[in-house]
Amino acid sequence: MLALFRLLIFGLIFLTVVYFGLSWYFRSERRRRMERDWEAAGRPGSRDAYVEAGMEQYQQSLRRRLIWLVYVVPVTAVIVIIYVTNYM
Amino acid sequence: MFYVKWGFWALFWIVLVAFLHYTLPDHDIVRITDTYERRIEPGDNALFWSNADTGDNTQASGRDVFFIQSFLNDEKPMVYRNEDTGWGWPPYFKFDTSNLQAQASDAKMNASGENARWVDVLHYGWRNEFLSIYPNAVSITPVAGPDVRIIPWFNIVFLVLLGALFWAIRARWKRFWRTREDRAGDEWNDGTA
Repeated sequence: MLALFRLLIFGLIFLTVVYFGLSWYFRSERRRRMERDWEAAGRPGSRDAYVEAGMEQYQQSLRRRLIWLVYVVPVTAVIVIIYVTNYM
Repeated sequence: MFYVKWGFWALFWIVLVAFLHYTLPDHDIVRITDTYERRIEPGDNALFWSNADTGDNTQASGRDVFFIQSFLNDEKPMVYRNEDTGWGWPPYFKFDTSNLQAQASDAKMNASGENARWVDVLHYGWRNEFLSIYPNAVSITPVAGPDVRIIPWFNIVFLVLLGALFWAIRARWKRFWRTREDRAGDEWNDGTA
């Protein structure tokens, strides 16, 4: 049973690192795009307020929630492989 | 420096290709002639033997391993080992070793001649006589004859996705360093903002 826990623990650590890395990367990309947008829109009002409003929207977006696929896809893949290898 | 750099990348690609070639699944069309089990004491070649912790004692140094003896469709011999990979590497999650051995010994009936039973053995790993290593059989499926052609869909999809991932990371890596260099020449050091 030890091997299963080893896989679960190291897998969880690895995927969590990937999850936070990706969410940090996408957030900073989004922030950069909002800053560029603000300039393109003719610098309406406060830059910080503009960017923050955009980030607020991003936090709610489907695009952000799709990062959870980092966990969903590997777990599904493992279950499918177990089924295909042993029961098909 | 040129040769060091070149040598490094050559080594990197050789190791990567060898690793993928060892780990990814491969199909052989064979006729199975015998199945047996033999005691194995992995030594220097232990890396190429599975050490699955699927409930058995893992401290024992030697153990009995199932083998499947066969002939490929070009009449060259091929011997597979049949071991659990369990929860370990490579991630085939194979636990049904004994069932597979039962299938293999069923397939060895009528092994030669006109009506030989041909099977497709899905496996990973290498056969190497000098190291005494054997590919690990993962599944056995009956096929119509020795000339059946199997398209490796899984490998195609997997390699395309892996290539796309490498490409995405590489493009971002390059862009990161390019913007860095651009920024190095801004108002901080040339005064022409």
